[in-house]
Amino acid sequence: MKYRITHSTFYHYSQSVGLCQNEVKLQPRNFWRQHCHNSRFDIKPTPMDFRERTDFFGNRVTYFAIQQPHTQLIVTAISEVTIFPRENNLDLFNQLTWEQVRSLLQGTPLQIQSQSEQSQNQVQIQDNNLEILDARQYVIDSPMVTIIPELADYARSSFLPNRALVDVVHDLMGRIHKDFTYDPTFTTIATPLSEVLSFRRGVCQDFAHLAIGCLRAYGIAARYISGYVETLPEPGKQRLTGADASHAWFSVYIPGTGWLDFDPTNNTVPLDQHITLAWGRDYADVTPLKGIAFGGGQHTLSVSVDVLRLE
Amino acid sequence: MRNDNNPANDIGTQYYATQLGIYDEMYATENKALPYWERFMGALEAMGSEKLELRRREAQRLLRENGVTYNVYGDSQNLTRPWRLDPVPLLISSEEWSVIETGLKQRAALLDLILKDIYGKQNLLKKGLLPAELVLGHEGFLHPCVGALQNQLRHLTIYSANLARGPNGRMWVLDDRTQAPSGSGYALENRTVMTRVLPDIFRETQVHRLSVFFKALRKGLADIAPHNKEDPRIVILTPGPLNETYFEHAYLASYLGYTLVQGGDLTVRDGRVWLKSLTGLQAVDVILRRVDDSFCDPLELRSSSQLGVAGLLEVVRRGNVAIANPLGSSILENPGLLAFLPRLSRHFLNEELKLSSVATWWCGQRRERDFVLQNLDNLVIKPINRSMGNHAVFGGELSSKEKEQLRSQILAKPHLFIGQERVSFSTLPAFIDHSIEPRNAVIRSFVVASGDDYVVMPGGLTRIARQKDNFIVSSQAGGISKDTWVLASEPDKPISLWTQPKRNQLIDAATEPLTSRAADNLFWVGRHLERTEAVTRLLRTILLKLRESLEFKDSIDTECLNVLLRTLTQVTGTYPGFVKGDAQLLKTPEAELLSLAKDGHRKGSLTANIQAFFQAAFSIRDFWSQDTWRSVDNIQRRWQQRVINNELNIEQLQNNLDDLITGIVAFTGLTNESMTREAAWLMLDSGRRLERALALIALLRSTLALQHEDALQNQVLEAVLVSTDSLTIYQRRYRSFIQLPMVLELLLLDETHPRSVAYQLHQLCIHVEALPRCKGNSHLSKEERLILKAYTDLRLCNVLELTQATENKAIYIDFDKLLANTTALLWQFAEVIADAYFSHSQTSELMILNTPEDEL
Repeated sequence: MKYRITHSTFYHYSQSVGLCQNEVKLQPRNFWRQHCHNSRFDIKPTPMDFRERTDFFGNRVTYFAIQQPHTQLIVTAISEVTIFPRENNLDLFNQLTWEQVRSLLQGTPLQIQSQSEQSQNQVQIQDNNLEILDARQYVIDSPMVTIIPELADYARSSFLPNRALVDVVHDLMGRIHKDFTYDPTFTTIATPLSEVLSFRRGVCQDFAHLAIGCLRAYGIAARYISGYVETLPEPGKQRLTGADASHAWFSVYIPGTGWLDFDPTNNTVPLDQHITLAWGRDYADVTPLKGIAFGGGQHTLSVSVDVLRLE
Repeated sequence: MRNDNNPANDIGTQYYATQLGIYDEMYATENKALPYWERFMGALEAMGSEKLELRRREAQRLLRENGVTYNVYGDSQNLTRPWRLDPVPLLISSEEWSVIETGLKQRAALLDLILKDIYGKQNLLKKGLLPAELVLGHEGFLHPCVGALQNQLRHLTIYSANLARGPNGRMWVLDDRTQAPSGSGYALENRTVMTRVLPDIFRETQVHRLSVFFKALRKGLADIAPHNKEDPRIVILTPGPLNETYFEHAYLASYLGYTLVQGGDLTVRDGRVWLKSLTGLQAVDVILRRVDDSFCDPLELRSSSQLGVAGLLEVVRRGNVAIANPLGSSILENPGLLAFLPRLSRHFLNEELKLSSVATWWCGQRRERDFVLQNLDNLVIKPINRSMGNHAVFGGELSSKEKEQLRSQILAKPHLFIGQERVSFSTLPAFIDHSIEPRNAVIRSFVVASGDDYVVMPGGLTRIARQKDNFIVSSQAGGISKDTWVLASEPDKPISLWTQPKRNQLIDAATEPLTSRAADNLFWVGRHLERTEAVTRLLRTILLKLRESLEFKDSIDTECLNVLLRTLTQVTGTYPGFVKGDAQLLKTPEAELLSLAKDGHRKGSLTANIQAFFQAAFSIRDFWSQDTWRSVDNIQRRWQQRVINNELNIEQLQNNLDDLITGIVAFTGLTNESMTREAAWLMLDSGRRLERALALIALLRSTLALQHEDALQNQVLEAVLVSTDSLTIYQRRYRSFIQLPMVLELLLLDETHPRSVAYQLHQLCIHVEALPRCKGNSHLSKEERLILKAYTDLRLCNVLELTQATENKAIYIDFDKLLANTTALLWQFAEVIADAYFSHSQTSELMILNTPEDEL
């Protein structure tokens, strides 16, 4: 499946901004399920300073600065991405129980043996080891997901003894979808998980954080994914350009399988309609666009996203 | 054990009661004092406790006068607390010191390698030498800083360790300070004071000098500059005057010759860091930071921080600025790391760790966690993150409920906790309440990178608890500091901090750029002080008049007094005050007058002005010479002690006002004589001139612009001349005729009289022209035009026309109009100056995308 994504952000300031610095994570990353053919920015006014790099998590990051006075800023990212469909759904039948996964994650890495003993086999173990090592950072607290007892309480009925982790996550996703009301007016970025939990309301970002928190409370590695989802117009209606939106979901590490995505907002396992931008421990690691402006007074902000299927 | 019969010799070693089982610095493990302690204590004994107490007080006086303070959080009443110094130093023999020194160098080198690995290849994690949770779960690990370290011989430029000696006589490291270690400036100041209060003993005891450390620090910082290595621009980044160790930031800045800056003084453009100065943007090469790393860049790190510079980390990444210590280095302060250092020392250096840390168990490992939980009663439990509260908990002192709570906290997130052995530190002699007593001590040592090696300060900052048997030693908890004397086998040669240029080389004088924040503060120092002076002089005149009116009961005196009282309300802006026309208040003005002097909560009062003056001066502490600072301190402290803290009557107030004037004149004189006529002085004096003009105009408007009867007029004229310190000049010039036009000639138009309005405006014209902004521009700037207009309008006026009495009018209309217009122009002028020069106050705003929306 091939898509073209156009994501524009418009800032309007009541007073002139003399200088602004920005960090953008709006270019889709490459990984086994996804290939980004090209991705470019159209920024107005033109930035004096523009630099791309890869962050700690392997996401594509752009830094840019506007150094001349301006009263509006438009950042548009246009990317073309191919999503490879899964060959089969065997991943979803991984039978490792959540307890087994937890102990694998808690286990100390293999001892380094002397050079002479290194064999092909050992390198493989080492790789696997590194994957687990990498996953361990997604088990502990992160800036926006602090594990609290309430999370464990909520998740308890999904974590039945000796249940396969895949089944646990499916169950948890279904419960979140059923128990929580989608309500864009209720939360902001700063709303803590405890509130989302007690009022049972939120948006995709909250649901992803909630699921991540529940999983981590049981020693499971879970990470946050930012991206887009393709939306199809209702039958008989014209597709609206720019009416799409950013989306967020989560991913769980399952040894032997790797990272498996789940979308609690739509209660689905992403296949070929989810386009990944970036991943990290939580939203704070993958904030699509943030900036510091000097001056400017009040600002208003609007966003338009268009996910267009090309083939 | 005090011998009260012989108070002169009561501080000898025989009176020193050490504690069983605790190592004492003086006695070591023997029953006899170590020879070098014996000699030192002998000298103290010969001096006697009374003399020593005098020396101790002398030391406190010097410290206070030098403005050595330590700010205590949550103490708004007494923002700055004087630094306390015990006159008995810690003595360390050169043999022992060389062991400590070697150990510190090794430890610094080891921590440097760990830092480089954590923010580089992360082999320690990959090889399992450090657990992932220990590093990635610590708030000091800053993800955006990975890969941002630059090519330097050493990344950890400054390192500091808290040391204490355990019961077995060995030195232990209690903790490592790697992010922005404080204390070296205090250590230096302690030394400076000690050499003044115990000069003879200091001379006889051969003590290593500290300057070798500061010389190395200078070189170390210059070495890491990515550009301009020959003459890099180095700044000290401070969180500001509210920070606990702000004194030290200012002190080091002036001692090392660096510019002291706050986050708002810096900006990022074109991938470089710039200092915003009056003369434009100046490139910065090295930042010695005293701001915690996560606060340094609101774009990539803590977004709510107002203390940092947006985009700083990106500049670091591009190798265009060096920061000491690098952002992210607080990961090394993770106390859990202590448990892994011996292994890492063998791994990296192939050496055993020379200085042991206090035995530490990191609960992130199952075996260690179980050990800690089983031995909760005998251990100190600490969270690894400072934000979780820096409180060490003594397990044995908890109630069973608290213990249960702690246990479940540890079980829930074990990697966030450590257990540590309880150590009893050694004691050493301290001079407490006239006698020598043992106190537990902690030594903070300082290390700086020099080339690929490290240089250790031969000495350090020793701190003791105030109470006996107290192991919590910290400046926040009100501890006392000590100098640390590392004994030399032969006298040290003095080391000059000056770099020697090559022969016959002429170095360009680099004028330190004046930051806009500093300019703002200088301007306000001038304004607040001048306002204080104007109010003081007027108040003094009023008190004089008040006495006369009570003495002679002359109605003219009373009328004149009333005019002056109303003037005071107008000059101080403390309406309604006397302007309201309340007869009772005018009849018994004493309470209101005292309140206008004392009440710090009242805007416009003397106390409020003095406090504002002091705060502004303190924010740019690095600008003042030692003498000048002493005069600032005198003004504030005397007023505090004698007026604010005292119940005093009107007569006593009079004396204090005289004193205050003397204090103000001392400051003015010192700044006039010691500041070069560059931007800083121009700002200070412009503030002063502006305020003097405004205050004088306010005075004239509410006294001489009013039409009075002749008899009253004469009295008011005299009072105005007294209040402006111009009576003598007037009498000499015009002898015994006192007339309005002549008084105005002197106070309004005489450009040779430093207290006239014309003089102030003329000076402002000259200053504004000299300010850097206007150079090379043939057009007049906005501020130049405004001040020139005010000045010209004044010069064009004719005092005889201005003072034409109009029938049935209470005021001289033209005169009043002139004054009103001048005031308006001056206010505009002040605003334009603020816009043009103090633009640092422009605030930044975080723009962040709100909740992403999605389809259901």
